Amino acid sequence: MSTPLLSVDDLSTSFFTSRGEVKAVRGVSFELRAGEILGIVGESGSGKSITCMSLLGLLRSSGRVIEGRALFEGRDLLTLDEDALSALRGNDISMIFQDPMTSLNPTLTVGEQVIETILRHRKVSRAEARARAVELFELVRIPSAAKRLKSYPHEFSGGMRQRVMIAIALACDPKLLIADEPTTALDVTIQRQILALLKELQSRLGMAVILITHDLGVIAETADRVLVMYGGMVMEEGPVRQLFAKPSHPYTRGLLASIPDLRDDTHHRLTPIPGSPPDMLRPPKGCPFAPRCPHAMAQCNAALPPLYDAGEAHRARCWLHHPEAPRVAGITTELVPA
Amino acid sequence: MTHIAPQMWAPAVRDSAAAEVIAAPSLTFWQDVRKRLWANKPAMLGLGFIILLVLAAIFGPMVSRHTYFEQNLKLSNVPPLFQTYEVTDSAGATTRFFFNSGNLNLYEVTPSGEVAGLLRPAKKDLIKKQQQFKFGYHEVLLDTAKQQLSFADGTALAPTGWQWNMSNVLGTDQLGRDVLARQLYGARISLTVAFVATLVNFFIGVFYGGLAGYLGGKADTIMMRIVEVISTIPLTLYVILIMVVFNSGFLSVVLAIGSVYWVDMARIVRGQILTLKQQDYVAAARTMGASTPRILIRHLLPNSVGPILVTLTMLIPSAIFIESFMSFIGLGVTPPEASWGTLTSEAVETLRAYPYQLFFPAAAISLTMFAFNFLGDGLRDALDPRLRT
Amino acid sequence: MTAYVVQRLLLMLVTLFAIITLTFFLMHAVPGGPFTSEKMLQPEIQAALNAKYHLDDPLWLQYLNYLKGVLSFDLGPSFKYAGMSVNEIIAEGLPVTMKTGALALICVVALGVPLGIVAALNRNRWPDTLVMVIATIGVAVPSYVIATVALYVFALRLGWVPTFGLDDWRGYFLPVFALSGFWISFIARLARSSLLETLQQDYMITARAKGLKRGTVLIKHGLRNSLIPVVTVLGPVVANLLTGSFVIEQIFALPGIGRHFVLSITNRDYTAIMGITIFYAAVLMVMIFIVDMLYLVLDPRIKYRADAK
Repeated sequence: MSTPLLSVDDLSTSFFTSRGEVKAVRGVSFELRAGEILGIVGESGSGKSITCMSLLGLLRSSGRVIEGRALFEGRDLLTLDEDALSALRGNDISMIFQDPMTSLNPTLTVGEQVIETILRHRKVSRAEARARAVELFELVRIPSAAKRLKSYPHEFSGGMRQRVMIAIALACDPKLLIADEPTTALDVTIQRQILALLKELQSRLGMAVILITHDLGVIAETADRVLVMYGGMVMEEGPVRQLFAKPSHPYTRGLLASIPDLRDDTHHRLTPIPGSPPDMLRPPKGCPFAPRCPHAMAQCNAALPPLYDAGEAHRARCWLHHPEAPRVAGITTELVPA
Repeated sequence: MTHIAPQMWAPAVRDSAAAEVIAAPSLTFWQDVRKRLWANKPAMLGLGFIILLVLAAIFGPMVSRHTYFEQNLKLSNVPPLFQTYEVTDSAGATTRFFFNSGNLNLYEVTPSGEVAGLLRPAKKDLIKKQQQFKFGYHEVLLDTAKQQLSFADGTALAPTGWQWNMSNVLGTDQLGRDVLARQLYGARISLTVAFVATLVNFFIGVFYGGLAGYLGGKADTIMMRIVEVISTIPLTLYVILIMVVFNSGFLSVVLAIGSVYWVDMARIVRGQILTLKQQDYVAAARTMGASTPRILIRHLLPNSVGPILVTLTMLIPSAIFIESFMSFIGLGVTPPEASWGTLTSEAVETLRAYPYQLFFPAAAISLTMFAFNFLGDGLRDALDPRLRT
Repeated sequence: MTAYVVQRLLLMLVTLFAIITLTFFLMHAVPGGPFTSEKMLQPEIQAALNAKYHLDDPLWLQYLNYLKGVLSFDLGPSFKYAGMSVNEIIAEGLPVTMKTGALALICVVALGVPLGIVAALNRNRWPDTLVMVIATIGVAVPSYVIATVALYVFALRLGWVPTFGLDDWRGYFLPVFALSGFWISFIARLARSSLLETLQQDYMITARAKGLKRGTVLIKHGLRNSLIPVVTVLGPVVANLLTGSFVIEQIFALPGIGRHFVLSITNRDYTAIMGITIFYAAVLMVMIFIVDMLYLVLDPRIKYRADAK
């Protein structure tokens, strides 16, 4: 197997606020191969966005990477200085954000916002950059592309703005695109269009994608592999089919139970997960999900479970996979102890 | 694989509420505001100063030994702090006095530090610019050009020490009025003008803005266009014009300032009412049959209090400032009444000879501005929901 | 675009008209009329004066005549300076007021904005603290206090600058400093908070995520947006520099319009008060119009909103 495009190892990020250290990301590791779509799913505050912001050095001033490595094509992103990192951003790795309404500068034309990205990373003339911008607008299917370059963001609808964001992100043919909840702020019909566009562009351009979302439905449709995060940690990780077929963590099971399945014609009730995420100022000593877990055991509060291998690159962080643990139907029975 | 004790596999003991508990104690909005305001030291310092000032303005003139208008021309321009000299005459009686370099007079001082009165020179020599004072057989010469005191034999008189003025703690002004008494009275006038004018603005603004916001539609458009026109007019000019029409005096100042600066308030109140009209909970209250006044009082007002309070706190210092500005150019309260503005402008008249006289009114008004600014900033920060933690 | 310009222009004219009307009727509401301070004029002299200045005409006719005068840029004769028109009074004081005012405005923009930017970029470090302490003092201490203290220290005590007049170029220092002190502080505070707010915006992260250089992110994306609120207050700043000149010109004995205005107030020279007020208002309207146009250039959203109406 080839070396991964990106390999993140034991990443920890904290925010230092007046109330103390908020441990937003705690020891996250994952790998991403070229051309692969990795979905990261979790509730708000689970650390999924912070993980990606840490990689690109885009944390707000109070945030700091505490430890870890993130090798991208052999270079550790976390030790690069700002100059080297900014040469990488928008070029090899680009990012699109949740809210297209606020992510574009309101006082510059959208064309300028695309062109300036091209001019930053490519040695081309302004006219060439312009031509490339028109090309990109056509690529993301903005109608009458050449004319629309002169428009301002407020003259676009939300979906169109997200297309502009995607055009900006694709400007320099990135090897990795990080999409941070790219559809959350959009209407449902637009959401589907944008997702379809992303998926199509990904297969056409062959880039790797990290898709951050809180919506398992989105993951099921787009991703190859999934990372389930909770309380700043990876709870479960695996190929999409595997993970959906055999969710091996009570939290993943909870997430799956809380989304409607339209293909399922048996009308069972949706089950929300009771409680709220842990306070990251004082993260619990044991499993962060234990207070909300239906299967919580004394051991769960006492110590953090390791990641257990469930086979086929499928891993889950739950004490139920310990060989001495009681068997719980749906989670452990099918599992071979690692 | 580490071995784990069997009892650890027992279901976790939990109290049912634990999962629902959010770690930070939840506070009501106003509790949170109060807490954050308390933690803001400059704002609290400002508030403390304002309270002290208000108390001083109310009770100060009552307990003061002097009144703000009582004049004593013989004791004009006496400083609060002076260097004393002592001369003992042949009979053994000691006279303590100080030299006021501003008006070239000698004043006798009692042992307790009170200013007893002016010492009359025995002889004045206008050509040599000398004055001669007699203490029994001793003669003291005052060289008014060099501002030096010496005995007849030429030996210089050495000062014996510093003395705080015990009869007029902050000295006297050019008409011999007690500066402290005038200062306290000035605070009373300035603060009254500011508070009353702010209150008048508040009522006009809330009424106008509330009406526009409540009526909505065409009426709102017209009323807001009028506000737009008014807000482009230089308001200081209008305060001046109104003062010209009504002549100077306390009431006209209040009227002039009070009738002009309500535009911001009207805008804020209208904005609040417009946004709140669309809020779900107001619709909910309406659906549940709450009457219009009830909605206004129970739902709209409490939510508008924050921005209104901040605007008010910021309006008071501007009112103080405008009043002092008016008084400074001679349009404020009329003498012998005093405000910080008139006190400053009086001090400016004597700036060359008695620069220290500027200190007290300037300090009073500046500190008050500081206090209100700090309090206003603190309030705004405390009320800003984006800064909630 | 044109819709917006026309709309602003109309608003300007309406406001100016309102100001002229309001000023006229306020001045004619003064009890007793313009010549009351000259005690006990002979009735026939009074009548002659009234006839000369058309004060015996009905009020509406006086108003129409005055309006006609203003429209042809004639503000009428001064009541107190025989043979002097209000136009002449203004023309005499204008150069002084314009010079100090323009210099003060330049100081406000050229010092206030950079100070605010330095403070915001060094948030919670010593440059920020220093700027904020100075700006807080500047906002709290009234201009006439700054002016008199500066006058005492630099002119009377140290003798670095003349105590009055503008014959020496150094004479500009103190008036301009006193006039602009408050607004430099105000703009510094505004620029600081505005830039801090802009730095928090999502599009700033986008700009960084695109790999733009630090300087580009800051200047092209940060400054331009954070200057919009600063530009909007420039209109009121000009207004306040003008009214501020009343006191400053008084303290430094500068023969500007502000001094003439205060003098005409003390003299109850009603036509002069009226004329100077209207002149001030007109200057101000023009300034606000210019600021509005500037705003239009800076913020494309305005154009859009105005045209959408």
